[in-house]
Amino acid sequence: MLSIYSYHLGNQNHHLQFASIFWQTLACSILTALLSEFSSSSKTSNIGLSMEFHGNCKRVFQEEDLRQIFLLTVEVLQEFSRREHLSAQMSSVFQRYLALANQVLSWNFLPPNLGRHYIAMFESSQNVLLKPTESWREALLDSRVMELFFTVHRKIREDSDMAQDSLQCLAQLASLHGPIFPDEGSQVDYLAHFIEGLLNTINGIEIEDSEAVGISSIISNLITVFPRNVLTAIPSELFSSFVSCLTHLTCSFGRSAALEEVLDKDDMVYMEAYDRLLESWLTLVQDDKHFHKGFFTQHAVQVFNSYIQCHLAAPDGTRNLTANGVASREEEEISELQEDDRDQFSDQLASVGMLGRIAAEHCIPLLTSLLEERVTRLHGQLQRRQQQLLASPASGSADSKVLDDLYEDIHWLILVTGYLLADDTQGETPLIPPEIMEYSIKHSSEVDINTTLQILGSPGEKASSIPGYNRTDSVIRLLSAVLRVSEVESRAIRADLTHLLSPQMGKDIVWFLKRWAKTYLLVDEKLYDQISVPFSTAFGADTEGSQWIVGYLLQKVLSNLSVCSSEQDLANDTVQLLVTLVERRERANLVIQCESWWNLAKQFASRSPPLNFLSSPVQRTLMKALVLGGFAHMDAETKQQYWTEVLQPLQQRFLRVINQENFPQMCQQEEVKQEITATLEALCGIAEATQVDNVAILFNFLMDFLTNCIGLMEVYKNTPETVNLIIEVFVEVAHKQICYLGESKAMNLYEACLTLLRVYSRNNVGRQRADAPAEEEEQYQDLLLIMELLTNLLSKEFIDFSDTDEVFRGQEPGPAANRSVSAADVVLYGVNLILPLMSQDLLKFPTLCNQYYKLITFICEIFPEKIPQLPEDLFKSLMYSLELGMTSMSSEVCQLCLEALTPLAEQCAKAQETDSPLFLATRHFLKLVFDMLVLQKHNTEMTTAAGEAFYTLVCLHQAEYSELVETLLSSQQDPVIYQRLADAFNKLTASSTPPVLDRKQKMAFLKSLEEFMANVGGLLCVK
Amino acid sequence: MADDLDFETGDAGASATFPMQRSALRKNGFVVPKGRPCKIVEMSASKTGQHGHAKVHLVGLDIYTGKKYEDICLSTHNMDVPSIKRNDFQLIGIQDGYLSLLQDSGEVREDLRLPEGALGKEIEQKYGGGEEILITVLSATTEDAAAAVKAVAK
Repeated sequence: MLSIYSYHLGNQNHHLQFASIFWQTLACSILTALLSEFSSSSKTSNIGLSMEFHGNCKRVFQEEDLRQIFLLTVEVLQEFSRREHLSAQMSSVFQRYLALANQVLSWNFLPPNLGRHYIAMFESSQNVLLKPTESWREALLDSRVMELFFTVHRKIREDSDMAQDSLQCLAQLASLHGPIFPDEGSQVDYLAHFIEGLLNTINGIEIEDSEAVGISSIISNLITVFPRNVLTAIPSELFSSFVSCLTHLTCSFGRSAALEEVLDKDDMVYMEAYDRLLESWLTLVQDDKHFHKGFFTQHAVQVFNSYIQCHLAAPDGTRNLTANGVASREEEEISELQEDDRDQFSDQLASVGMLGRIAAEHCIPLLTSLLEERVTRLHGQLQRRQQQLLASPASGSADSKVLDDLYEDIHWLILVTGYLLADDTQGETPLIPPEIMEYSIKHSSEVDINTTLQILGSPGEKASSIPGYNRTDSVIRLLSAVLRVSEVESRAIRADLTHLLSPQMGKDIVWFLKRWAKTYLLVDEKLYDQISVPFSTAFGADTEGSQWIVGYLLQKVLSNLSVCSSEQDLANDTVQLLVTLVERRERANLVIQCESWWNLAKQFASRSPPLNFLSSPVQRTLMKALVLGGFAHMDAETKQQYWTEVLQPLQQRFLRVINQENFPQMCQQEEVKQEITATLEALCGIAEATQVDNVAILFNFLMDFLTNCIGLMEVYKNTPETVNLIIEVFVEVAHKQICYLGESKAMNLYEACLTLLRVYSRNNVGRQRADAPAEEEEQYQDLLLIMELLTNLLSKEFIDFSDTDEVFRGQEPGPAANRSVSAADVVLYGVNLILPLMSQDLLKFPTLCNQYYKLITFICEIFPEKIPQLPEDLFKSLMYSLELGMTSMSSEVCQLCLEALTPLAEQCAKAQETDSPLFLATRHFLKLVFDMLVLQKHNTEMTTAAGEAFYTLVCLHQAEYSELVETLLSSQQDPVIYQRLADAFNKLTASSTPPVLDRKQKMAFLKSLEEFMANVGGLLCVK
Repeated sequence: MADDLDFETGDAGASATFPMQRSALRKNGFVVPKGRPCKIVEMSASKTGQHGHAKVHLVGLDIYTGKKYEDICLSTHNMDVPSIKRNDFQLIGIQDGYLSLLQDSGEVREDLRLPEGALGKEIEQKYGGGEEILITVLSATTEDAAAAVKAVAK
């Protein structure tokens, strides 16, 4: 087939030089189609080529014909670019060839010796970088080729369609790497040449809208693909101009992006280009040891300034400014699903924050003065409003523009400050960024510590009113500027002006404080080579400063919680700050010394307003924080007192309610229901607070409740929302605690869960509810929760931190003599309960589907011996579920099912029954897995799971396996293929004949299977 | 939808409802807009402008008639929430489309309609088949309706 193509190609070549436009167009179309056919298996037409054949063709093609096509295209483009005027027709041919060139340069070059699994994976990757083989050296390293594409772009850049292609070609050339470069020198030459060409093209022109994204991709590719040492090896003047150009473009795209936002354009091309350039900056400056210190500082200042400017209102900034003056933006409805700016723009903010650190000398004082100035204005505005309200209470809402502008300014300033001062890490302890630490240390000799502490400790006063305010640590002063914003907010709340405040700004403040506290509060000096004295004096362990800040933050939390019950997001960010304060023991130790903490605990325990108005997730988190705080260091008496305040009221209130004589009659009364709901929510919060060192206490406390909860299940059997919540308590307890429980405690939990399921089943099997869609959803919620519960219980088999009740030592009456209930009992009981309720329709809910398959795979893996004992119906539906999962669900589910097969087949082998239903079922699965491996294109990640299942099934059903192989072979008509297949199958089982269930043999088989797949896997797999 | 913005409590339910802050309502909970008890089937929040205060948008279905209610307003406002009660009674007869239910006091209640749709058919079928069954009665404001059926636990 290839030779035919080549033949055509030769002819076309001949034609092109003299041919008419018609022939040129036709030739170009044929070439384009040809390229598509070879480029990737997913684009190949359905003519039934095997993957392997496709791969071979592609390799041959890319070495020879593709290069020919490229050279030809270059020739044609050269021809066009020399002409002064192009007719419309000519220009359309030009465009086709340019697109063709782009297709060639975006070719996903297939490396030699890549198995068919990898081909599929490789070809599906997006954003192909140009990595041709060595044979392309002459074709691509010729500097005239690169120049041609720059020339072409200059010629057609006003035509937005063609410019897309020419810029894409350049972006691909900017990503050139791999064996094509014989040495580093040639790479440096290429890069220097390219950058020269780029600068010549874009310097001194006004960039078109349609060029922005393309140009940013070129730059981003250059910075990502070329190693630092190559970048710095180009002539230093050239490199400097390149960085200056990058700076200029970044600032200019940033301004245009801001304009796009004001005009509310659908297609945000400048925003995309800006994002890309900011990301390139991050790549460029992160590895700065190749550049001399301070090299980027001035550039960083420029980019930082322009970012700030775009986000501030006039006169300092240009926010909402268009050519015709300030645009009056209509206030749009923002849905809760809309991401917060701090997440939506997190990449931009991370880059800007990084640049701010590099230019800390400039940026930190800048942010401070901008914030301080706005705090003063905000304070003034709010006071004026208050006086107006006092003078004429009915004056209503005056124009809010001034306030909104201030809020928006402060919003962005706080976000940038947050990203500049600290990183957001998950799981690990965030460190103070080294640039910030150095900056503070560098100036510490000029700093007056006492004044610094005074600035920090007086958020209610203007910073400039404190004598000597200019001799303070700049980083602490920036923090104190945010505290000043926070203080204005708190005072406005106290003055009953909450309706004038911005909940968004409230969120920004607590978000910032949380991020700051994680990194700086009680800074651990052991983690740093050197530490700034102002930092260790102001926020170090055992300092007045840190004690004061903790107290201040607590006050802030209380102030927010007292008014923000109607602002869910604000309440949520606020309790998150609280959790941050207590989740580390050192901080918690300070927290519990504050009176306000105890007040909070008492207030919450009494379930009085305003805390009881908070939404349930917020209440849960609050409970979690209160419990975590209880494990801070205190003397025994204080600790006793603390638990008496926090946990005991919960128990007492609960018992009082449920032990009333007429509780079953009263249970539907609203106050009673609310009390019960609040208790259940609190229990979830307590479970969430579990840590290894408190599990003993918390488990015992929760266990008492669980028993009572089962009674509640009976009483509230008609109230689905309560039933739901009760199951959730069990889910949370199992989720957080089971891994720490020793044998006897785990058994207590199993027993409780089993009883729960029994009661649930008694009340729900055979129950028909009114057929409103909402009711169906409740049922689905129940099922999902029960599955989660069972999965959590099973997870003990994988993750177990318990050391035979180590944490409970001293409380145990001795090891349990006989296990009354095992995890298997609970889980199988649960499965009995769930299976009849599952349906194919329910499996359409993705979360439910995944949870279901996770559960059944766990069961097959952990208790394979229980599967044959299942009642017939259940067994059948389980097997059907597995088949369904392998054939028509997501690849994740398919993998789970394959993992379930191995233990099932092993179980059969152990039992040695050849007529059991399980034995018959596994025979069917053998065929399924066989087809999957040999005939279908499937996911590489699945090979191991499929291979293990396959081997075990082959061991079990050797005769059937031989039969499958025979059938397959006899259907082959081509003798060559027949022989290859036959050889491959022989080799596959050679190392394991006869196949037995033994680890060594299995591993040998898996290895042979890989070879088998690489060898003939692509042979029968037809697209 | 404009007329739905008015949320006066209907006379009928005045004593059987209590006010609750809008933000504390939940999906699958109940409210009484315009005197009719509704189950909340959809709830979402939004704000006007970046610095606006939260508003709650909710969609409810009348638990007896299935009629749809929709409304949006500030999350600090209060809404009336019905006291919902659910009780199980044994079914001892069906007459002219009405259920006869045996109350705890021993009296028989006969004012509840046999519900329409699948639930009604299920009740008729089970009762006709001689099964002993319990009917869950949902009461909100002053109205009651049969909401679920299940067999008596043996």
